[in-house]
Amino acid sequence: MNNPSPPSVCFYFQVHQPYRLRDMRITDIGRGKPNYFDCEKNEEIFRKVARKCYLPANKLMKELLMSYPDFSVSYSLSGIFIEQCKKYGTDVLESFVELAKTGKAEFLAETYYHSLSSLKSIEEFCEQVSLHAEEINNIFGQTPKVFRNTELIYSNELAQIARLMGFKGILAEGADSILKGRSPNNPFAVPEFTMPKQITRIIETKRPLSKEADDITVLLKNYKLSDDVAFRFSDKSWIGFPLTAETFTDWLMEGGGRNVNLFMDYETFGEHQWEDTGIFEFLRSLPAVWKSLGISALTPSEVIEKWKEERDVFDSHSVISWADTERDLSAWQENLIQRSSLDDLYSLESAIKETGNGELIELWRLLQISDHFYYMCTKYFSDGDVHKYFNPYESPYEAYRRYSHALHDIKERLNSFRPSQCQDNL
Amino acid sequence: MFGWEYPPMNLGGLGVACRGIVRGLTGNGVKITLVLPSSGAQENGVEIISTDNPLIKTFRVKSMMSPYDNMKDYALRATSNPRKFAQMYGSDLQDAVEWFSDSGLELAKKADPDVIHCHDWMTYPAGMLASKYCKKPLVAHIHATEMDRTNFQPDQWIYDTELGGFRSADSIIAVSNYTKDILVSHYGIPSDKIKVVHNGSDGIKHNPIKAGPIERKNPLVLFLGRLTIQKGPAQFLEMAAKVNEIDPKVMFIIAGDGNMTGELMTKACELGLSRNVIFAGRVSSSEAHHLYSHADCFVMSSLSEPFGLVALEAVEHGVPVILTKQSGASEVVNHAFKIDYWDTEKMADCVLTILKDKRLSKQLKSRAFKDIRHLTWENQAAKIKSIYENLIYSMKSSD
Repeated sequence: MNNPSPPSVCFYFQVHQPYRLRDMRITDIGRGKPNYFDCEKNEEIFRKVARKCYLPANKLMKELLMSYPDFSVSYSLSGIFIEQCKKYGTDVLESFVELAKTGKAEFLAETYYHSLSSLKSIEEFCEQVSLHAEEINNIFGQTPKVFRNTELIYSNELAQIARLMGFKGILAEGADSILKGRSPNNPFAVPEFTMPKQITRIIETKRPLSKEADDITVLLKNYKLSDDVAFRFSDKSWIGFPLTAETFTDWLMEGGGRNVNLFMDYETFGEHQWEDTGIFEFLRSLPAVWKSLGISALTPSEVIEKWKEERDVFDSHSVISWADTERDLSAWQENLIQRSSLDDLYSLESAIKETGNGELIELWRLLQISDHFYYMCTKYFSDGDVHKYFNPYESPYEAYRRYSHALHDIKERLNSFRPSQCQDNL
Repeated sequence: MFGWEYPPMNLGGLGVACRGIVRGLTGNGVKITLVLPSSGAQENGVEIISTDNPLIKTFRVKSMMSPYDNMKDYALRATSNPRKFAQMYGSDLQDAVEWFSDSGLELAKKADPDVIHCHDWMTYPAGMLASKYCKKPLVAHIHATEMDRTNFQPDQWIYDTELGGFRSADSIIAVSNYTKDILVSHYGIPSDKIKVVHNGSDGIKHNPIKAGPIERKNPLVLFLGRLTIQKGPAQFLEMAAKVNEIDPKVMFIIAGDGNMTGELMTKACELGLSRNVIFAGRVSSSEAHHLYSHADCFVMSSLSEPFGLVALEAVEHGVPVILTKQSGASEVVNHAFKIDYWDTEKMADCVLTILKDKRLSKQLKSRAFKDIRHLTWENQAAKIKSIYENLIYSMKSSD
């Protein structure tokens, strides 16, 4: 190796827990029972993950942030996750606040409801990002500067929208189809183009930050190295098993480039990879190895500041994401029941908002959580893969049955808000 | 092969499966000497000359055995037949099985097979005798266990006969993992001795009967199976009652016959379903086809179903299906609702969800059809052939 300056590393962790639906029945529709969600199960899962992941991981992370001056991290906490912290675990929320207090943890912006609104409604999308930015500001005392969309859903258009919202950075998947042989280990610029007036107008009135950003940089996930940790770490049949901090750092150095983005679910630590796999020890030993080699771990904002010039263009006409091997939208839109549920839900937007009823709007937004659609995915039925692992329901059809009942119920509620003379085709 | 005939009336899956396996095997170039119990046989053990497949030789053994017999049903039939007949071919089921085995042995001696393959317990003693005499490997195919048929309250002698067959067999073929698990947990058979070969299907063969001239307005939910405890017709009725409370337009057809028929009819009336439930009786294949083509939803409510070929038939006819988890078919049909047989409330909810939601129904139809495309009898028989080959090979190498 004769690389004079090693790349820096940027850690980003997604922190999210959905609200799982309860076993609704057709007989519940229109009965005015407010709860679509299985509170007991949601609390139980939250506490389990808190015990296995959030609390021990945050404790370790704080230790590392305090001990290593060149070690920083970033998080994105969905609004739904923060809500659940308030309900089921203020200890978890406090531990994140502790991390923020070190001044070395950056909190990113996203849609409050971890939704697919960017694909469906620019107005709703802006409102949710604003709600989220406000919440992050309230809790952590920092205004997010970098945006990351639900499950890294990304396109050229979205990058421009994020810029117009005021963000100077956005995260995306380092999709091979777009990189075409280039390394993901460099910050990229986005293609210039003019947004239609009607869209810019909506953004201007609803944007989370005070003014648009002049420029936006996209940071691309190095999915090979990220997934080595997130998915393969405990896989005994994997050639890299058992993975040590030293080997991992060798691979990281070999890839070269300016900055390696390691983006993953925070639940990797202790939940997807259990404690007994040695995942915490692995994480604990990384900063020491990096320190000895002069590798610093930066926040997304620091990476963007550092490499403003000399950026290549990442041109993503199609929509990409970090989900599945396809890295597209198929995890949420592969089949008819997913697409029709999504269409039905967003077709209610204006009518729901016109009621001005906070409770109804909130319910409608809770039905936007992307996980509802993810659970209906039937792509890998036979392989029993990651979708099944993450699915709290027995099958995608069970997910749909519950969701469809909730959707029918919200339509009934909406109808009850409307004066009878102007009931239309709903 | 000691098997079963394809019955003229839909009497259950065993005859259908045997026919599929035999055809699939000959499609893979396997020669078969078939020995079948038959009440219609003119003379005992005479070869039936058939021109349609040169790879098959068929012999019928005169017998009153029927694939789903228990002691009581057989005895009832035996007494209703001429006394002389019963005396000759077995006045009770034990005698009948013995008679079939002895006759089968004589035929096996002449056939000189490489492998002996038998289907369900009544043919196991015949297979065991023949295997012992010919010194050739025995394959015991299990389509349904006594546990399935009796809701886990087996007749001891039948259970013992099954167990004898499983133990003597060199290899066991189970029609599902569900059944394999029953053999392991209830019969103590080592799991490595059991291979799973799911049943197949050869698609729709019958000429569709034209739908009647009257446009049907009411949604139709179908049950097709023997009316015995195993098939869960009582659970189907409970579900029907729950659906009826919410949507009285929905009609239910119960097609099939069995020892619970009277009881079910009474129950349907008690539940106030006399206008909504139609008992269609035992149906022929073309009648079944007709019913499938009109159904909006098919429910297989079995308490314990080793496979459930009817589910495949429904899928082939483009009917969305609801299956109990306690079934083999649920291992191969992914795009379906799967429920526990006792949860009739959820069963009802699934029915109502399918009936009210055209997009869901459309997806279930088209995707489930893709699930089972590869399950042809020829593909499944190729798996059976390779089990034969392994047995022949290991027998030779141990000589």
